[in-house]
Amino acid sequence: MDGAKVTLGRTAALYAGAAVLRLALFTLFPGLPDLLTGRVEISTPVTSFKRLQEGLFLYNHNVSPYDGGVYHQAPLFLPLFSLLPSFATLPIFTYLLYIAVDLLSASALIKIADSGEAGSSVHFTSPRREKRWSGFIVAAVFLFNPFTIATCIGRSTSVFTTAAILHAIAKAVAGAPFSAMVAISFASYLSLYPLLLLPPLLILCYDRRNALKPIPSRYNFAVSNVALVVGVIAVLFQMSRFLTGSWEFLPSTYGVQLTLSDLTPNIGLWWYFFIEMFDSFRSFFLAVFWLHLSCYVGGLSIRIRRQPLVVLTLLLGLFAIFKPYPSISDASLFLAMVPLYRHVFPLMRYTFVIAAVIMYTTFLGPAFYHLWIYAGSGNANFFYAITLVWGLGLSLLVCDLTFAVLRDEWEVERPEMVGKDIRQI
Amino acid sequence: MRSISFGAFLGNNSNLRARSYVNRLPLFTRGVLVAIVVFWIVGVQSVWDLRTWGALVPDLVGLSSLYRLNTYPFIHLNFFHALMNVLALVPLLERFESEHGTLTSLALFFGPFVTIPSFMYLFVEKVVLRANTPVMGASIWVFLLLGIEAIRTYKLNPYLVVGTHNIPTWTSPIAILLCVAALVPSSSFLGHLCGLAVGYFCGLGYLKYLAPPEKILRWIEGKLNLLGRLPHYVSIDQKTYGRFGVLPSSGTSALRLRRDPRMLKVPPYLSLLCIVVGAVWLFLLPLNEYSRRTYISENALLPGQVHTYFSGSDQHVFRAYKHEVNELAGKTNIDVNDRLESIVKGLGLKTARQNFTYQSAGRVYSGENLYAILQAPRGDATEAIVLVGAWENVKGELNRNGIPLILTLARYFKRWSLWSKDIIFLVTPDSIAGPQAWVDAYHDAHDSSRINSLPLKSGLLQGAIALDYAQETRFESVHIVYDGINGQLPNLDLINSVVSIAGGQMGIGVAIQEMWHHNDQYPDRLRTMLRGMLKQGLGRASGPHSSFIPYHVDAVTLQPFGDGWQDEMAMGRVVEGTFRSLNNLLEHLHQSFFFYLLMQRERFVSIGTYLPSAMLVAANFTIMAIALWVKSGYAEDPSTAKKQPASSKYTSTPAIERNLFLPLGVITFCQSIAIIPLYLFNHAPAAALPPTFLLFTILNTALPHLLSHYLTTYHSPSTQQHQLIKSFSLLLLGMFLSSLATLNFSLALLIGLLASPLTFMRPWPGSAAARYTCTLLLNAISPTAVIFAGAKYWGLEVGEVLEQAAFGWDVCGMYTPVVVWCVWWPAWLAGSVVTLGRPKAKEVPPQAKGEKDL
Repeated sequence: MDGAKVTLGRTAALYAGAAVLRLALFTLFPGLPDLLTGRVEISTPVTSFKRLQEGLFLYNHNVSPYDGGVYHQAPLFLPLFSLLPSFATLPIFTYLLYIAVDLLSASALIKIADSGEAGSSVHFTSPRREKRWSGFIVAAVFLFNPFTIATCIGRSTSVFTTAAILHAIAKAVAGAPFSAMVAISFASYLSLYPLLLLPPLLILCYDRRNALKPIPSRYNFAVSNVALVVGVIAVLFQMSRFLTGSWEFLPSTYGVQLTLSDLTPNIGLWWYFFIEMFDSFRSFFLAVFWLHLSCYVGGLSIRIRRQPLVVLTLLLGLFAIFKPYPSISDASLFLAMVPLYRHVFPLMRYTFVIAAVIMYTTFLGPAFYHLWIYAGSGNANFFYAITLVWGLGLSLLVCDLTFAVLRDEWEVERPEMVGKDIRQI
Repeated sequence: MRSISFGAFLGNNSNLRARSYVNRLPLFTRGVLVAIVVFWIVGVQSVWDLRTWGALVPDLVGLSSLYRLNTYPFIHLNFFHALMNVLALVPLLERFESEHGTLTSLALFFGPFVTIPSFMYLFVEKVVLRANTPVMGASIWVFLLLGIEAIRTYKLNPYLVVGTHNIPTWTSPIAILLCVAALVPSSSFLGHLCGLAVGYFCGLGYLKYLAPPEKILRWIEGKLNLLGRLPHYVSIDQKTYGRFGVLPSSGTSALRLRRDPRMLKVPPYLSLLCIVVGAVWLFLLPLNEYSRRTYISENALLPGQVHTYFSGSDQHVFRAYKHEVNELAGKTNIDVNDRLESIVKGLGLKTARQNFTYQSAGRVYSGENLYAILQAPRGDATEAIVLVGAWENVKGELNRNGIPLILTLARYFKRWSLWSKDIIFLVTPDSIAGPQAWVDAYHDAHDSSRINSLPLKSGLLQGAIALDYAQETRFESVHIVYDGINGQLPNLDLINSVVSIAGGQMGIGVAIQEMWHHNDQYPDRLRTMLRGMLKQGLGRASGPHSSFIPYHVDAVTLQPFGDGWQDEMAMGRVVEGTFRSLNNLLEHLHQSFFFYLLMQRERFVSIGTYLPSAMLVAANFTIMAIALWVKSGYAEDPSTAKKQPASSKYTSTPAIERNLFLPLGVITFCQSIAIIPLYLFNHAPAAALPPTFLLFTILNTALPHLLSHYLTTYHSPSTQQHQLIKSFSLLLLGMFLSSLATLNFSLALLIGLLASPLTFMRPWPGSAAARYTCTLLLNAISPTAVIFAGAKYWGLEVGEVLEQAAFGWDVCGMYTPVVVWCVWWPAWLAGSVVTLGRPKAKEVPPQAKGEKDL
C-alpha cells in the first residue's frame, strides 16, 4: 500500500517534471515552437500545426478547410481546436492541450509496462523477464526523449495518434477489447496507418481476454471486433461529413496519404522517390510502396504469434521508417515501446551502432537540410542521403530487436544453446 | 570434459580456420575444383568439341562410352555455369569430405554418387520420356549433397516453425530445386531431381553398404602413408564435429578477428594514423597533383567579353563627386545621407533609408543605411544586383574613393539601356552592421523593433559587389575579399569572373587573402590556403559582402592595393565588367563550387579533395569512442584471462554489464554547464570581458580537479566508467565535428586538431607524474589557453577578441562561440576529468557474466 503511494508520488513528480520542462520551453523560448513547427523533420503535410491553423481559419470563416489544398488532417481536429481560446491571443491553452496529450500517452505506457506483457505473454514467458524496467522508467524515457519533446513543442498533431495507439495497446493488454478497438479506430481515423495495427492488436486482445475469461469462439470475437472498428470509423466519418458538409475530406486526408500528392520533403523514403518518378509509373509504385508497408503485418503476426506486443512494437518501428509521411514523432513512439524489452537488451548486438547512427543523423540531417535549402550550396541528395541513413539506423534497431526477441524464444526451445554464439547455415 | 576437448579442438583448429577459406580446402575438393577448371579451359578452344565428347547424352551412352558417366559432372556449358556450380559445390563437398575422409569421397564420387544418378537419368529420359537431352555439370552433385544435408538437418531439427505451422526441413532442397528450375534457363530439372533422390536415399542410410569398408580404407591409408604424403588429406579417422543445424561457432574469420584481444590494441594507432593522415593531407593540397586550375563554369557569365566604356568624361564626374564626399568627411551619418540622397535623387533614382540599432557587449551600434534602386530598362524587377560601399571600411578608414566611384557608376549605369536586372546602390555607415541590417531587412528576417523594414525593395538578389577604396594614390592590383560569415563562401564563378575581368581584360593584378606578392610556388600557395582556412574557421565577417553570403547572395569585396598606375576609372571598369557579366545571368549562380579552398587566384581544391582531411580527424574520435565502448564491455582483469587454459584463448572474453548511469550523468553535466561560458561571454559588457575571462580561466583550470575529486569521493568510478565517459565524450565530439565539417570545414578541422590529444588521454592510476604531465598538456591546449595564445600571436587584446566574438554572435549570427564553448570545451572538460581520474582497483562486477548488455 505504502509502496503504491510512493510510486504514485513518483509518477506524479515525473508528470509534473515533464510538464514543467515543456511549459518552460514554450514560454522561455517564444521563438522555439514556431521554429520547430517549420522543421520538416517534425511537421509533415499531414501533421503540421501551421497547416492546422490554416484549416482552422478557413473552418472558422465557414469555408471548407480543404479548399486551397493545404490542410490534410482529420476534420474533427477543427472543432477541438476552435473550442480552445484562439491560439493567436492565448497560446497557453494549446500548449496545455499538447502537454496533456503527452502525459496521457505516458500514462498508457506505464500501464503497458506494468502489465509485464512484454516479458511474459499468454503463450510465452521469457526466462529473462525479471530484468525489466518499471513503468516509471519507461514513461520517463518517453517523456524526456528529445524527439518526443520536439514533437510536443512543434505541436505536430501526430501526438494525438500516438496517444490513441498507446491507449489502444494499453486497453488491449488490460483485456478490454471494446476500448482498445475504439482507441485504434480513433488512431486510424486520425492518420490512417494505425489500421494496419489491427490484426496484432486483435490477437493481443484475444490472448489477454481469453486468459481472463475464456472466449467461446475466436471467429465471433474477431468478426465482432472488426465490425466494431468499422462501426466507430463510420460514425467518425459521418460526424466529419456533418462538420464539413461533404465527403471532400476523404480525398484530402486519406487520399493524400494514399497517393502522396504532397511531396514536401520529410525524413521518410517516399518523397524523393516519387519526385524522381515518371508519372506513368506512379500508381504502380504507390501500390508497391503501400503493399510493402502492409506486408509486414501478416508475416510478423504469424511468425511472432506468441508475443503480439512485440509485433505491435516492430510494426511501429517499420511504420516509422516506411510510412508515406513519417516524422520524428513516429520514431519517438517506437523508441517509447523499445524500453519495454529491457529483458532482451543483452541479446541485442548493435546497440552502440544504432545509437551512434541515430545521433549522427539527428545532427547531420538539419545540417544538410540547411545546406540544401538555406545555404544553397548543397542539394536534395544531401538531405535524402541522411534520411536513408536515418532509416538504416531505425531498421537496424527493428532488426536487432527482432533478432533479440526471436533468440529469446529460441533459447526456451533449445536450452542447451543458451549463451552460445550461433551461426545460421 | 567434453566441452574442454571441444574448446581445445577449436583452439587448435583456429589458426587454420583463420586463414582464408580456400587455403584449407581438403584434397578431394581441390581435385574436383581443379578438374572443373581444367575442363573449362580445355573447352575454350574450338578445335575439339569437349562438350560432345564428355556430356551425358542418353543416345550415345554405350559400353564403349561409359566414360561419359564419369566425365559429365566436370564439364560445363560456359564460364557462368561453371562458376555457379563451383560456388555451390565447394562448400558442400568440403563438408562431406572433411566428415568422411578423402578416400571415401573419392570412392563414392567416382562410383555410386555419379553412376546411380546417371543411370536413373538415362532410364527416365530414354525409356520413360523417350527423349535425348544431353546433361553436364556438377549441379547434380550439388543436389545430391543438398539431399544428404537436408536429411541430416531433418533428423536434428525436424521442423521450421513459422507461426503455428511446421514445415519439415527436409523439403528445403525441393524448394531450391523448383526455384532453380524456374529461374535458371536450360537447367535440367530431371537431372537435378535424380541427384536429389540419390541424396535423400543416401541421407536415409540406404546407400551405406556402397561405401567402401573402413577397414580396407584404413589399411590403404596406413600402407601408403597417405596422411603423411598428401597435403590437405583428410583421414578416415579424422572425425569432425557436427556441422548441422545451428552450432556454437567461433565462426568466420571476421568474427574470430573481432574476438582477438589484439584487435583492441589497434584503435589508438588507427586514430593516430587518422590524425596524421588528416594533417598531412592538408599539406599535399597545394601541390599541382591535388589542386586544380579554376575555370568559368557558368557559360552565361561571359566575363571580359564586352567592351567597357567607363572612362573619359566620367573621370570629371568622379572628381566632382569626390569633392562632395571630401566635404562630408567627419560629418554625421544623417548629414552624409542627406547630401548623398540629394545627389542620387538628382540622378533620377529612387532612394530610401533604413535605421538600425544593434547592441552587443554593452555597446550600441546604430546608423542609417541609404540605398537607391536603378530600375532595369529591360527587366521586370524580379532580380537585382547590389553595389555596396561602406562609408568606413573594416579598419575604420573613410571610403574616400569608393563612395564617389559608386555615385559615378550610378550616373553612368543610368545611361545604359542594357540592364536586365535592377541595380541597387547601397551606402552603409559601417562595414558589418549596416550591410547586415540591410540584408536582413531585405529578406524580412530582421527584428523590426531595432531595425527598420525597407520601404523600397526590388527582386531577388543575384549578386553583390562591395567597393572598399580608401587608398588615395593610384593602385597596382585588386584584392578580392570573399570570406562570408561562418565560413560560407560565394560561388567560385563570381571570383573567377572578377579575376578574369580584372586580370585578363584589364591587365590589373589580382590578389587574395592579403598575399600581396604571390609567386605561385608551394610555400605561397600553402600560406594563402592556411590564411583562408583560418579566416573561414573564425567565421567572422570580413567586409560588407560577408552579410550577403548567408542569404545565398554571392558577394565579394574589391580592395585596390599597391602602388601602381591604375586609376579610379580602371576600378570602375572592373565593376562595370563584373556587372555586365552578372547581368547576363539566366539563373542564380549555381554551376561552380560553393566549397573550395583557394591557394592562388587561379588555383583551388574542391570539397571532394579536402573534406577527407577534416573527416579523418573527426573519424579518429569516433573510432576511439567505438573502441572504448567495446573495451568497456570486457572484463578488465587480465590475470583471469591468463589463468584460463591456452586453448580457450580465442573464445570470447567474458563480456560484462556496463554501468551507464554515471558516465551519462557526467557527460550531460559537462554539456549542460557549457551554457555558462557561452552566456557569460556573449552578454558581459565589453569592459568586463577581460576580468571575466581571467576568472573563467582560473576556474577552468580548477574545475577538472574539483569534478574529479567529487567523482572519486562520492562515486569512485571504475576503469570501465572512465572508459565510458571518454567514449561518450569522444562520440559526441566526433559527431559534432563531422556535422560541422559539412558547414564549415576549416573550423571543424581546427577544433579537431586542437582536440586531438583528447583521444589519447586516459586515467593514470599508478603514476602521478604521468597524470600531471597529461593535465599540464591538456591545460596548454584548453580553449582558454588557445584563445589567449591566439590573441597574443596576432597582437590583439583578449578582450578585443571576445568583443569581436560577441559582436559576431549578436549581429551576424556567427556560431563560432557556440562551437568553442558547447562542443570543444565540454569534450576538453570530460577529457581532463578522465585524465585526473583514479579508477578503483580491479572490481569484479556482480552481474552475471557471459552476456553483453546495452
